[in-house]
Amino acid sequence: MEKKRPAVKGFSNKQYIGFIIFGLCLCLIPVLVKMGVLKTSFLNIIGGSIIYTIAALGLNILLGYAGSSSLGTAGFMGLGAYISAYMSADLGLPWELSLIIATVIPTLIGILVGVLSLKMSGLYLGIATLCVAEIFRKTFSQFTQVTGGFAGKSASFPVLFGTIKLKQTGTFVLLIVFMVLAMMLTYNLVHGQLGRALHAIRSSETAAQAMGVSLRKYRLVAFALASGYGAMAGSLYVHFVRFVYPSTWNLLLSLNILAMIVIGGMRSIYGTFIGAIIVYAVPDLILKRIPVVGSYNGFAYVFSGVLVILVIMFSRGGIAGMISGLVSKRKARPAETAAAAGTDDSSGAGTE
Amino acid sequence: MENTNLILDEDEVLRVKDLSINFGGLKAVDNLSFSIKKNQVFGLIGPNGAGKTTCFNCITQFYRPTTGSVLFRTKNGNVEELVGQNVHDIIKKGLVRTFQNVELIPELSVMENVLLGAHVDFKSSLFAQALKLPKARKEEQEFRERTMDVLEFMGIADYANSLCSGLPYGVRKKVEMARTLLCDPKLIIFDEPAAGLNDVETDELTLHIRQIMEKYQCSIFLVEHDMGLVMNVCDRICAISFGKFLAEGTPAEIQKNKLVQEAYLGEEG
Amino acid sequence: MGTFLQLLLRSLESGSVYGMAAMGIIIVYRTNFMVNFAQGSMGMFGTFIVTAVFIHSGWPLALCILIGVLAGIGVGSLVNFAVIRHTKKISAAGKEIITLGMMMIFLGITPMLFGTDPLRLPKLIPTGSLSFGGADISYNSLFNIIFGFALMIIMFIMLQKSKLGLAIRATASNENTAKLMGIPTKTVTLFAWIVAMILGTFAGVMIAPTTSVTTELMDSVQLAAFIACIFGGFQTFYGPVVASYFVAIGSNLLIYYVSDIWGQQILYIIVILFLFFRPVGIFGKKVTKKV
Repeated sequence: MEKKRPAVKGFSNKQYIGFIIFGLCLCLIPVLVKMGVLKTSFLNIIGGSIIYTIAALGLNILLGYAGSSSLGTAGFMGLGAYISAYMSADLGLPWELSLIIATVIPTLIGILVGVLSLKMSGLYLGIATLCVAEIFRKTFSQFTQVTGGFAGKSASFPVLFGTIKLKQTGTFVLLIVFMVLAMMLTYNLVHGQLGRALHAIRSSETAAQAMGVSLRKYRLVAFALASGYGAMAGSLYVHFVRFVYPSTWNLLLSLNILAMIVIGGMRSIYGTFIGAIIVYAVPDLILKRIPVVGSYNGFAYVFSGVLVILVIMFSRGGIAGMISGLVSKRKARPAETAAAAGTDDSSGAGTE
Repeated sequence: MENTNLILDEDEVLRVKDLSINFGGLKAVDNLSFSIKKNQVFGLIGPNGAGKTTCFNCITQFYRPTTGSVLFRTKNGNVEELVGQNVHDIIKKGLVRTFQNVELIPELSVMENVLLGAHVDFKSSLFAQALKLPKARKEEQEFRERTMDVLEFMGIADYANSLCSGLPYGVRKKVEMARTLLCDPKLIIFDEPAAGLNDVETDELTLHIRQIMEKYQCSIFLVEHDMGLVMNVCDRICAISFGKFLAEGTPAEIQKNKLVQEAYLGEEG
Repeated sequence: MGTFLQLLLRSLESGSVYGMAAMGIIIVYRTNFMVNFAQGSMGMFGTFIVTAVFIHSGWPLALCILIGVLAGIGVGSLVNFAVIRHTKKISAAGKEIITLGMMMIFLGITPMLFGTDPLRLPKLIPTGSLSFGGADISYNSLFNIIFGFALMIIMFIMLQKSKLGLAIRATASNENTAKLMGIPTKTVTLFAWIVAMILGTFAGVMIAPTTSVTTELMDSVQLAAFIACIFGGFQTFYGPVVASYFVAIGSNLLIYYVSDIWGQQILYIIVILFLFFRPVGIFGKKVTKKV
């Protein structure tokens, strides 16, 4: 029986174009704000969502791919924010340099946490990262020489190459650029050797090792990426919001970022953005307008919390999973229909 | 001094010598010795709980044997002691395995699952891959082509882009076998390849095992319950019971062996 | 010496608080196989109920606490029926995330119901203190210590002697076998959540007078309780409770004798290092997956 060899799907650049178009669409927001169609506050809210998307992309690599949970995201974001603010405001370093330092130092600390993770199983790791976050949070409020303590610390909008002074709109565009770059980088990483290795570790550590995946190396890489993305997001935060308080980087923020990837969709890049919008922007833009309950503080958390629980119970892929589920139902491929006969181990094993 | 111990006969691929492992006083594998020759299909049989899988795990270093040595002729022709090496380094030597309960990644496509088998052969750095430099791109493409070759060889090329989670058990077993073929293996360990397959699929498997051995010029070491398959496919068989060596020989010899019969009858009675 | 005794007494009091929270965590963990990150926020919510009733009704605090217990039964059941019942088939990581989601709900619903201003809750025994050996201890603290001890002892006796305790222990050791043997594991689960909620409320009410009642009330208690669970091991009921007192003593000593600014951080670093070298706790065993 002669069969035609199916085409080999390789690396494509189609996704790049998608990300760039997506970024360009977001660039319309400042234009619409200038035209008066949208309120100025819209810029802040979407800007915040973009920053959280970057942090959540990192956590998505760690939790979604490598399967290690971390409750320390906020701590790493805060660390990035404070280092960046200290470097640029107190030491007068250029913005680019402070961004790099503010990303590199937390990444190294993240690798240290990763070393810890090598020996711990799920629940202990969650608690250990909780401890790490607490250490950061306490340090932010007590190490006043650098952090300004409870009074907070201020920073300015970025100055590119020492000459181009950005204002809010410019910084917003800069955020988009960083998010698009982060998306591309994430896409490349998770669709290649690294992604497969992390998938393997999450799915079965023993099988991963048998295939030559070093748990040590890839766990560390995942932790480094998660903390690096988080710290970069923190650094961008401080130069966009221009102010930072220790109380911002609490457990609730870590939970919110976790909620973003759970709701938006584990292992989905666009899903992460959708999640960030739902968790961060929707409460501000929509929920507050709902009569009675909407005016209460805290409703946003209830909303996200309920969504998180519902997603875990009913649709593990989150919103991105639901969307792709709908799409693939429309065009079920022949091989999959043929495969529909036996779906799990038990049905296969029963044939003997 | 050490080198004197690292000697295998010209045609030997693996030599297990005096292998033992204790689990809290229980000897799961007890002083087991055997050797596997080049281009040989070698079977390890024994009643339930005989320590077959434990023996595999000792060879692939998932368990650290209490005593004994495992010598292996690697891809580049050197003889190495496997005991004490990292689990994830074993595949680099050219020794690769499958699992009893099929350990595939349900969220990935067949293609990507099989590509994992080439994990150790990727040369480009993580940095190059993150930025998708031309070198990394080319390498990924090459491995994808090679994966497709393997999938065609196993007759599952049609499934290349399907997710593993939805596939029938028989196909998934083939995917796992395909995954062992990408790394230029010298010895492949199949852990109960026929478990869960129907008769037609088992016959097909028999054919596949011989084909793999011939095409990839490697040895195959399998643990199996299905006696029919073992007798049909193996060149040599080693029988164990309660971790102890019972007999070794050709399928015909093993079938006639009194000790082996007793061990199996004892289990049924 | 007086200072040390003072520290010790204070540690016994906070140890009681941590012990209750730890017991809440462990009883849920053992019967539901779920790490309940919402333990602290549940206790915080219960404390808000007690405080709100106290402020609005003017009734005696003891009565308000009783109402808090009744409310705790309600909230615990609600959590059990609305969420936990539907999580049987979810992976451990998924369950962990669900409790994080519950935590968000509690943290969000509290300001909706009780407002964002910090509330104040007085001591159960407002005045009076004992002094001996150069240390002072208020009647209220003494009561907290004794109450904590007594409650834990009652819990252990209940676990060891009563029929329900047997059911809990059977479920903890193997849920499926327990179910097959006719043990009502669903009732056990329900009971565990109610107990967790009530213990959390007690812990919150005990610690509330030392600070103000805010959504962050239980943050440090929860972390301390988790640390106690780590040192004591998740495998026994008594381990975490005993460890709670040691965690309290350790952290007080660190804060007083080493550094009042960095003491807490040092404790966390010790915990992390401990986890690194004993990744499954003191009594824990590593479970290797069969391949």
